[in-house]
Amino acid sequence: MEGFLFWFCGTLMFLGGLMMVVQRSAVVSAVWLVFSFLCAAGIFALLSAPFLAVMQILVYAGAIMVLFLFVIMMLQGPVLDGERVPIKKGLWPFIALPPAAVIILLVGWVKGEGLRSLGDAPAPGFGTAEGVAQLLLGRYLLAFELISIVLLIAIVGALVIGKRERKLPWK
Amino acid sequence: MMLFLDTLSKIGFMFVLIMGMVVVLIWMERKGAAFIQDRTGPNRASIAGIRLAGLVHPVADVFKLLFKEDIQPANRHRALYNIAPWLVMAVALSTYAVIPFGDYISIAGRKVSLVAADLNVGLLYILAVASLGTYGVIMAGWASNNKFTFLGGVRATAQMISYEINMGLALIGLVLVFSSQATPEHLREFLGADFLSGLRLTHLVAGQGDLLWGFLPKWGVVVQPLGFLLFITAVFAETNRNPFDLPEGESEIVAGYHLEYSSMKFALFFMAEYAHMVIGAALVATFYFGGYQVPWLPRPVLEAHAGSLLTIKLIGVVIISMIFSLLFFRRAQREKGKFGDARDREPGLGGALWLIVALGALGGLVLKPWGIGADGASLFASLIQVGAFVVKLVFFAWLFIWVRWTLPRFRYDQLMALGWKVMLPLGLANLVVTAVVLAMV
Repeated sequence: MEGFLFWFCGTLMFLGGLMMVVQRSAVVSAVWLVFSFLCAAGIFALLSAPFLAVMQILVYAGAIMVLFLFVIMMLQGPVLDGERVPIKKGLWPFIALPPAAVIILLVGWVKGEGLRSLGDAPAPGFGTAEGVAQLLLGRYLLAFELISIVLLIAIVGALVIGKRERKLPWK
Repeated sequence: MMLFLDTLSKIGFMFVLIMGMVVVLIWMERKGAAFIQDRTGPNRASIAGIRLAGLVHPVADVFKLLFKEDIQPANRHRALYNIAPWLVMAVALSTYAVIPFGDYISIAGRKVSLVAADLNVGLLYILAVASLGTYGVIMAGWASNNKFTFLGGVRATAQMISYEINMGLALIGLVLVFSSQATPEHLREFLGADFLSGLRLTHLVAGQGDLLWGFLPKWGVVVQPLGFLLFITAVFAETNRNPFDLPEGESEIVAGYHLEYSSMKFALFFMAEYAHMVIGAALVATFYFGGYQVPWLPRPVLEAHAGSLLTIKLIGVVIISMIFSLLFFRRAQREKGKFGDARDREPGLGGALWLIVALGALGGLVLKPWGIGADGASLFASLIQVGAFVVKLVFFAWLFIWVRWTLPRFRYDQLMALGWKVMLPLGLANLVVTAVVLAMV
């Protein structure tokens, strides 16, 4: 059962990723990416990490991708039938080569030492709310707080850069 | 195998409860609106003269929408346009998996928990699934390829993102209060833990069965009054109900995101809205009003006095249904030949129905309910708990309707200002105060 579920989620996740890349419409791409995230959540759940699984949905699928979709839809505008965006001929190698190189390297790594060098599976309980909380608010407390400050600064920065003083007629 | 059957029957119960509630809520909305606006409300649709005070109207609606032509705009995005209504409905239905509607029920010596999936991150699961609900709405808005629908989808997204944060913040206070409370004695064997975990909904509800200072039920609303206000406001916003129904603001963007949908696809959006209301009501009842807990009557007390309680209940049913039956028969006498068609039979049939209920309860009294054994007492306690949950559910569903027909709609900037400038600081303050108080106690 476990093996079946792993291959089921894994295959669907892979297909979702593939569909995301080959879609013409950016909106549909984003939807496939969400699908892929949901399958990843399934794999987390299989690894008995329920907290990570739910967080994957809540944060990535539920919050970040909604914002992505929001922005893409604002920029892309209405649906056009049969619209094609041709890529300039000279750009093809630059688009195709990096992913191909990554895939070849990955296959080579897995065929060699790869999977064995990953070590044992983490102890049960690593992906529960308590397990994650122990790490975040214990061992990695400083890093966690620093990252949140960095994010805060980024938000303030985005506001400062993005906000333009509007000349209103009555001012 | 037994686990599979148990789960299947629990899912079936929840599904029937929700879909039944959807029909009842559509009726309640129309009758409630009529009541608040001093009208009669729907009273025309009938099956062989039986109108059930308008309850036949939702049935007529279903048939109309099933057989209506499905008109789609020519320039839609075909796939997303067709998926969106199903997605909205699927999300609305999958939240119920973790909501407990009783603690357990004993069947032939086995104790079966009355929740479809007792996740130990149940609360986060609800937030996660609720956040997925945005996709259906924004997909529908974009794929219809219409400026009004698109605006509706964009509004819905911005609104849901803003209020999800407030919802989560309000709930953290609740989790803080109920985490690491000792498990009630009678549930210790069943829940299998010395301390409760606030993220697990069965634990969250079990903790609300206690009494505060010996007389006040330790419901969420008692220990977290501000959290309750914030949560219920956020729930109204998440379900896109008035006063927060800007995604479909008729006066500005016609009907918002579902403007281009017709027939059963529109019906799915419509049903999903009501299913979301049922979720909202179930969540408010579960988090802040003790879920299945009957105030001052925890399971041990219910089981100890099951015989006398059941007798009192049956006598009450007999008296009330006799009164109803009498009233119906008097009306049948008074309004004889009022319509001159099949509708004249209605009061008489109503009277007969109530009479049958009264006779059934009398029959129950003959069977000596005061002497039910331990098994019967346990079953009685379980059923009373399920009943308490349903009663709370119906009340909060009515609250949604009540608010909709009483309050005007917000303006969009007011909505955003309320979410970010009022509720967010209040939620943070609530969290800090809760944490400090809990640290001192």
